[in-house]
Amino acid sequence: MAGVANTWGYGAMTNSMNDIRHSKLVFMLGSNAAEAHPVALQHILYAKEVNNAPIIVVDPRFTKLAAKATDYVRIRPGTDTAFVMGLVNEIVSNGWHDKDFIQKRVAGFPEMVEVAKHYTPEVVEDITGIPASEVKRIARLLAIHRPGTVVWCMGATQHSIGSSNTRALCILQLVLGNMGVSGGGTNIFRGHDNVQGATDMCVLSHSLPAYYGIKDGSWKHWCRVWDVDYEWMKSRFHSKEYMNKKGFTLARWYQGVIQEDKISQYTPIKAVVFWGCASNSQSQYHKLKKALDKLDLVVIIDPFPTMTAAACEKDNVYLLPSSSQYESEGSVTSSSRQFQWRFKVVDPVHDSKEDYWIMDQMVKRFGFHDKFYKNIKKIPDDITRELCKGSLTIGYNGALPERIKKHTLHWETFDVDTLQAKGGPCDGEYYGLPWPCWTETHPGTPILYDISKPVAKGGLPFRARFGTEHTYWNGRKENLLAAPGVYNPGSEVKGGYPEFKDIVPGTNWKTDLSQKTIKVAISKGMAPFGNARARCVCWNFPDQVPVHREPIHSPRPDLIAKYPTYPDKKDHYRVYTKFKSEQKPELVKKFPYVLITGRMVEHMGGGAETRSNKYLAELAPHMYAEISTRLANNLGIRDGEMMWIESPEQGKVKVMAKVTDRVDDKTIFMPYHFGGMFMGQDLSGNYPDGCRPYAIGEPANIVTNYGYDIITQIQGTKEGLCKVEKA
Amino acid sequence: MASKKMIKSVSKGGLAHVSSSRFTINPKLARRSFMKIAAATAAVAGIGLGPKAVRGLRAEEKKDAYPGSKIVRTVCTHCAVGCGIKAEVQNGVWVRQEVAADHPISRGGHCCKGAGAIDMVTSEKRLTSPMKRVNGKWQKISWKQALDEICSKLLEIREKDGPDAVHWNGSAKVSNEMAYLQRKLAAFWGTNNIDHQARI
Repeated sequence: MAGVANTWGYGAMTNSMNDIRHSKLVFMLGSNAAEAHPVALQHILYAKEVNNAPIIVVDPRFTKLAAKATDYVRIRPGTDTAFVMGLVNEIVSNGWHDKDFIQKRVAGFPEMVEVAKHYTPEVVEDITGIPASEVKRIARLLAIHRPGTVVWCMGATQHSIGSSNTRALCILQLVLGNMGVSGGGTNIFRGHDNVQGATDMCVLSHSLPAYYGIKDGSWKHWCRVWDVDYEWMKSRFHSKEYMNKKGFTLARWYQGVIQEDKISQYTPIKAVVFWGCASNSQSQYHKLKKALDKLDLVVIIDPFPTMTAAACEKDNVYLLPSSSQYESEGSVTSSSRQFQWRFKVVDPVHDSKEDYWIMDQMVKRFGFHDKFYKNIKKIPDDITRELCKGSLTIGYNGALPERIKKHTLHWETFDVDTLQAKGGPCDGEYYGLPWPCWTETHPGTPILYDISKPVAKGGLPFRARFGTEHTYWNGRKENLLAAPGVYNPGSEVKGGYPEFKDIVPGTNWKTDLSQKTIKVAISKGMAPFGNARARCVCWNFPDQVPVHREPIHSPRPDLIAKYPTYPDKKDHYRVYTKFKSEQKPELVKKFPYVLITGRMVEHMGGGAETRSNKYLAELAPHMYAEISTRLANNLGIRDGEMMWIESPEQGKVKVMAKVTDRVDDKTIFMPYHFGGMFMGQDLSGNYPDGCRPYAIGEPANIVTNYGYDIITQIQGTKEGLCKVEKA
Repeated sequence: MASKKMIKSVSKGGLAHVSSSRFTINPKLARRSFMKIAAATAAVAGIGLGPKAVRGLRAEEKKDAYPGSKIVRTVCTHCAVGCGIKAEVQNGVWVRQEVAADHPISRGGHCCKGAGAIDMVTSEKRLTSPMKRVNGKWQKISWKQALDEICSKLLEIREKDGPDAVHWNGSAKVSNEMAYLQRKLAAFWGTNNIDHQARI
């Protein structure tokens, strides 16, 4: 998401699931929506059947989604940037790019093209394994069928160059002029039900809610919202340095305990709280398990015990049964940025408690209850109000609880094609008030960066976020604001403009809590965040233009020399993170196969919920690994037999072979939802009585490799190496 | 006696497994009303109550709502598409779920996970009380004891090692309100060591 936000302003899906109905082409890379987002497929298949849209699926594996595609492209894991930049190069060299759109709304185009030139169809073939003729053919399809949409998931992001992959895909859409239009956009299908909302609320170690980075100004902003003294807040931290220093991430927090890589923090981590979060979704799980046994305290707050409870083998662990999502209420934000109110179906069952209650009780014991709940009396509505008040950057401020509830209670009044209510109490508004929803009467923004509509009616230009001018490495200077003539209908300024500030002296649109700044901008027909160009060049990234770099653990030693990874990063979210020192050309000799992971339709995330559901467990009871017919035959492994898969980090799992040519001869695929086994050992006895899930199995993440994204530190679970033996 | 047996069989999933009707056991609210349903079902079926006393719904029962029930609109928890669910609730018990054919995104579509949403509440594998591990064995404890012990240990670590000695892993499965409180809690605790599934 960092790559996307750094291109045009917001790191979110730009259009919506429903809007794909208007696409003339759907390009899906690293997404298996048929299993991970099955219901979205009805809109995709509508485009296929009604618009005759090609459905292009790019994946190392012939997935269930690929079975629905018109064009399947098998790609070597970890080479997405090379392929996509190759498409960009092919489109530009043939003059198929949208010159008018680029001239008016895009920055850094010539510089990007210089870099993309390297990725000729032949170079792409060498790196990705995709035939040069296919690169040309797909580029032509993209050029002919416009507007097309681009969809991706974790298959694109979970790489050491994940941030480059997402940026390359954004650049592809900019070059084709597919942004800000119905049927176009970058539609990033998100995993968990509220991952967009939880990201917007920044349950993240580098940001405060609504993407206010951890800087003085952001802390002061939120202290104003919380009505607490900034100095008091500062006093809560070890020091001001730590207040403004990115914390550990979910991917690597356990290094704060075991310290195999050097940490940049004054203390090791002594306690961890898993609050609605599985641990077996984290790579190198056998190392995480070491940390669990070394900690002074492990707290698991979840309706189910989760794999974490079974993995802890010391007396340092507590389980708190929170009630399920259906025994609580609140707003959730879909992948399409839509708010829905998840009404409470029943009261908490057994002796479980709502998360809100648990929070209240903990905060009471921590001694800051009066400050924490200063503006919050009615739960959850007053929390919604408080978060709306502060979340101006992403326009949560107009999505008040009563409006969200009204939409959910009248969902039948919204049109499937436009998502706009036809009559009824929400007439003219877009379903779920997709953010930014700038004011209490704003209808929501169904498509980001769409300049065909007035801002007050859901239109927007690209966000001015990166200054007003930039000088590139070649000396060229460019104005970063949109060209004259680019504006939303009714705009007072008929071209680019910077963000709004000083309407209320000393504030800008993001920090003016009176919201006057936002209202003034809207009344002038303008976007509070300005009107700028989207960037092909991100000068704040180590690769200003996305380039291919071999995976940390690469099966192609010959390409490591040509496309090496980054230098090591010393303090990457408080931990030394190896890149170059971990990229060893000889590794492939001992670990000859590429390991990738993914989802199954029957299970979700770490699987604690779905493996405890008897119907789903019956549908998909076994952990397995996909292995090609040829490789299985060469290794003497038959379908259904057990095999050992081992990682370079000495993680190993014993899993059932599923012999199938969905994968190629060099690739092993595993679903990552299983838990309850550990390197051949059955942990059933470690669950509380009666709580062992119906289905258990080895967590695939025991064998996912070392490797993290250079920007976000997302784990590289789609590009490791492994070896395989018959068990 | 017979009713008790029936409840046991239902709570072990016997009824739900065979029949298309499903019952939620909510011990606080629903025991009495549930027994009524169980008795009525058995009477209509004209068979004795026992572990095998289950049957499919009759046509009129499929068509009609459970007497006095209400429909609660809610949202599926298994991915970010945002599918609608209509939950049929009778006397505080989630008795049946329906697709939401009029939902603008899902339009009646459900995957197998969404179709099994009700089992989040009915699953027998749910934790039923707070627990701690003592000498390698799980021990049930009260909420008060659990929260007192956890919070005093956390405060002790904060005092001794500093606020950054605690790492918080929050969630992409909770509401915006709860996710927001999780981030706010880390801030008030005095650390940026907080993260969630969006990172991975």
